[in-house]
Amino acid sequence: MLDARTWLFWAMTVLVIASSTRNPLYAILLLLIVTLVSAICAPDQNRRAMLLPFRFAATAVPLAALFNALTAHLGDTVLLRLPDWLPLLGGPLTLESLLFGATNGLVLTAIFGGFTLFNRATPVRDLVQLAPRAFHEAGVVLSIALTFVPQTTRSLARIREAQAVRGHRVRGLRDWLPIVVPLLVSGLEHSMGLAEAMVARGYGAVSDRAQPLRSQALLALGLLMLLGGWLAWLFMPWKRAALSGMIAGAGLILAVLRLAGRAAPRTAYRPRRWSGRDTLTVLGCGLALAVVLLPLPGRATLAYAPYPRLSLPPFDPLVGLGLLGLLAPVTVSGSRADHK
Amino acid sequence: MIHFNHLTYTYPGASRPALADVTLRIAEGEFALVAGPSGVGKSTLLRCLNGLVPHFTGGVLGGRVAVAGRDPVAEGPQALSHVVGFVFQDPESQFVVDRVEDEIAFALENAAVPPAEMRARVEEALDLLELTSLRVRPLESLSGGEKQRVVIAAALVLRPRILALDEPTSQLDPQSAQDVLSALVRLNRTLGLTIVLSEQRLERILPHADRLIHLPGPGGPALSGPPRQVLHQMDLIPPLVTLGKTLGWEPLPLTVEEGRCFAAKSQFPIPNPQPQIANPPSPILQVEGLSFNYNGTPALRGVSLTLGKGELVALMGRNGSGKTTLLRCIVGLLRPRQGEVVLAGESLVGQETADICRNVGYLPQEPGALLFADTVADELAITLRNHGMTNSPPIAPADLLTRLGLSDLAASYPRDLSVGQRQRVALGAVTVTRPRLLLLDEPTRGLDYPAKRELTRLLREWQADGTGVLLTTHDVELAAQAADRVVILDQGAVVADGSPAQVLTASPPFAPQVACLFPDTGWLTARDALAGLGRLPA
Amino acid sequence: MSVRRIVGGAIYALSAAIGVLAFVYPFLFDAQAGGSIGAAHSQDAVLATTALVGLSLVALLVELQGQAISAKTVALLGVLVAITSTLRFIEVAVPMPGGFSPIFAPIILAGYVFGSRFGFLMGAFTLLVSGLITGGVGPWLPYQMFAAGWIGLTAGWLKISNLRSLISTPGYWRLEIALLSIFAFIWGLLYGAIINLYFWPFAVGPVEQSWTSGIGLGETLARYAAFYAVTSLGWDVARAVGNASLILLLGAPTVRVLARFRRRFYFETDPKGFLKPLGSRGSADA
Repeated sequence: MLDARTWLFWAMTVLVIASSTRNPLYAILLLLIVTLVSAICAPDQNRRAMLLPFRFAATAVPLAALFNALTAHLGDTVLLRLPDWLPLLGGPLTLESLLFGATNGLVLTAIFGGFTLFNRATPVRDLVQLAPRAFHEAGVVLSIALTFVPQTTRSLARIREAQAVRGHRVRGLRDWLPIVVPLLVSGLEHSMGLAEAMVARGYGAVSDRAQPLRSQALLALGLLMLLGGWLAWLFMPWKRAALSGMIAGAGLILAVLRLAGRAAPRTAYRPRRWSGRDTLTVLGCGLALAVVLLPLPGRATLAYAPYPRLSLPPFDPLVGLGLLGLLAPVTVSGSRADHK
Repeated sequence: MIHFNHLTYTYPGASRPALADVTLRIAEGEFALVAGPSGVGKSTLLRCLNGLVPHFTGGVLGGRVAVAGRDPVAEGPQALSHVVGFVFQDPESQFVVDRVEDEIAFALENAAVPPAEMRARVEEALDLLELTSLRVRPLESLSGGEKQRVVIAAALVLRPRILALDEPTSQLDPQSAQDVLSALVRLNRTLGLTIVLSEQRLERILPHADRLIHLPGPGGPALSGPPRQVLHQMDLIPPLVTLGKTLGWEPLPLTVEEGRCFAAKSQFPIPNPQPQIANPPSPILQVEGLSFNYNGTPALRGVSLTLGKGELVALMGRNGSGKTTLLRCIVGLLRPRQGEVVLAGESLVGQETADICRNVGYLPQEPGALLFADTVADELAITLRNHGMTNSPPIAPADLLTRLGLSDLAASYPRDLSVGQRQRVALGAVTVTRPRLLLLDEPTRGLDYPAKRELTRLLREWQADGTGVLLTTHDVELAAQAADRVVILDQGAVVADGSPAQVLTASPPFAPQVACLFPDTGWLTARDALAGLGRLPA
Repeated sequence: MSVRRIVGGAIYALSAAIGVLAFVYPFLFDAQAGGSIGAAHSQDAVLATTALVGLSLVALLVELQGQAISAKTVALLGVLVAITSTLRFIEVAVPMPGGFSPIFAPIILAGYVFGSRFGFLMGAFTLLVSGLITGGVGPWLPYQMFAAGWIGLTAGWLKISNLRSLISTPGYWRLEIALLSIFAFIWGLLYGAIINLYFWPFAVGPVEQSWTSGIGLGETLARYAAFYAVTSLGWDVARAVGNASLILLLGAPTVRVLARFRRRFYFETDPKGFLKPLGSRGSADA
């Protein structure tokens, strides 16, 4: 099984690629890749979960197509003409804008599918471990919350029964009160018991220390640089300086994050293991990113637009091949040698 | 090793101190049992061991506590976690993660122990508590006893020298409780771990204790010493010990085995054969051939039973034998696959729970799930309102509160009350409609002796009114004292149905202590035995 | 005011500014050049916006975590987040009108009772956990967490009276509940607008479509308003109305329960903790 970080990187790659093209052929290719990887790497017993991306596409594509056709009145092949006095909607509805909208829908579906796969392929516990060390408390909160959710569901059922037993019927919103309040109260009591148990096991010996003022100030500075850089980039002509300001600000924030992590020593019982398969997948994603982001000759084909007149979208086989790098997870899912 | 010196503690906002001038000593390697009625300060005392009191709870603490040379009050619970491991009552509310291994490793992760050592310690803890086969299981799939063992393991990874447990078995069924207690005894004997345990059901653990500490409550000093010595000065004791004390058996027997030689020597006239039950009372509830499946597996198989007016029937059986399922089918929370339930001539199958509950009062295992109002009086009013009976209540709420002993608590917030009081509020909430039938699911779980007695008294009052009572329980002594009939379920089918004397003595797992001591006499309680021996105190 | 307070306040203000900027950014974006380069550019810009919001979320979390967090707060947060996330199941399983989601009312109430810091963490984590359990983790998550966190944060600023009044004298609470309902209504709409903005560039395509070079701010705003009205207004009104009704109907008892709990368990044993005792004014924050 692949590491959670690998899957996240994969999903982010899908996101970046999908966002950078409006060429329907590439969009379809991407969607096919995502579907293939989903089917092989995370087969689900639950049929409905597998069809979710398709259901999403079934609504997203026509809706986006329609919306675009109704609002953007560009293009030459006019299908219908709405009266001009209609605000925003008035004007020609063209085939080109319909198609463009459909492509948008496909792109959205690809992104959605990529992240759905990420959700299904990583067990929730591994997701919690993704949290950086500085966020250890957050990690514990997440663990507690995730562990308590099934218990809440059971509690809810128990309380509904208990209220039914004294004649309570749920008819309107107000009738949820006798169910919500005991749920809340028992949850609160539970949380105090949990806190006690945690403290008795040594939790909090380290995390009760507050962050030094210096880190806090650096954090503020980082945010300032980020904001300032962004504003400068938007409104001023100093693009390069603004960009470096933003990057420096981002770096500062991440550095504080790292520092905070170091201040809270923790060890992990299950260290994350990085295998060759993870490296392979990362390389595959890197390849796909490279063909899309680097100024290679085929890149121009990404930015296809059907305007002003519908034409066959170009397809560069090299770019297509690069995109196939996203199939890397498929090659490694055959063997299940390492256990979770 | 553990010293309490004139320890006095008051909770924040409390009018009386929870602990007053307690002076105790517990030596290293001892197995100490803390006993006393509910609310007397057992939990507070235990929490002083690792500093939870006063660091976690606030309040004012006087006197001194020394634990293995350390001062919990000065150092706090986090520092003491390496010296004192703590196990709480409810296993559910102690879990941070959802896997056994990860839960056990949680404390080590927080202490930043290096991974290799972490692994070694987790293995050790799993081994000590015999959890190795369960290591990758999700926690919610474990039984209560297994969960508590995981909690103990999680406390042991920090290698404490003392283990403090606050009523660890009160939420467990007898089998699980036995597992946990055996594990504790093993830890004490093999590792020399000092164990301080508070417990309501003393009979299970008395034989293994080195020291018994009794906190009698306000006004009385704490008693501490070898069990037999302290038992002489206590009132709330197991039936066997009551017998022993009254009959002057020395040394005081703590187990049935010890008691047998005394019992054999006792002289008593051969008791008369059991008279037949004179007239079975007119039936109020009839269950015929009830069957129910949970996800395909049968939970109830053709169960039939009758309950008469004013009769109290105890439903017993192992965990998972279908007791709770039967109750839930009767009250309409579950729809049976087959069978009939008739209450006073009216069929209940297919009716909605809210309608059925006009005539059937059902007290679930966790009465807390019922309570949500601001005052006790409101709880009763809400049920009346639900049934539309506000203007013509079958029983005046004030009278019901008096009967329940809650009249001076009518304006209190229900969740602030003790466990026993809360249960009575819940009982009030379901009996305000004057039901003909009362169903109680494990009502004595977690109750101390006085609260149990109070409950039994209440049930007798309702029985006198003509209400039929059907309760499920694991508590054999309760069945012996209160039940008119006992029904035993096994794997969804009725295997025994008769008077307590017949049923309880027939199967060893369900035999009360007295019945084990005096087989073939039909005596079930200490009172029966004393009466039979002609030694009933005036 | 201590230096810490000022720096802390600065962090809040800056991250809020970044959030607001991300919100209005599409309206300010200047079409660099028409044609193909512009098209690709705007998509990068969307990713960049996500990254910026994500970073500012990280910064806020680091700041909030930097203050001492006791075991009590961690456990309480975990439990409340769990309960609220379970409610989101209801939203997913049972067909609800429009965008009605039962998770916002608890976030607002928790922020109100336990303070801004708690409220922010509660909002952010609720969206995270409910996303995890309903399988809705996506690039929109930082936006959702950020926006929900701000809901909780601002709820903590609403406290106008000592919470004791809610329990003893029902006089005050009517006003407070009304205030909370209006607050919830506004945020219902606002949240929708913020999240919608995330999808707008995706749904509508690149620069040259919606911003033809040369059209001004007003025109773009009009286009967005139209987009909003067509796609999301109905949804958001349902959400806003739902929020307000939840608070009107269930708010007072819930706040009573939370306030009672807070008084009993949070009172004095957290000397370095999150919350000051109830005697002093309001929450420990700001």
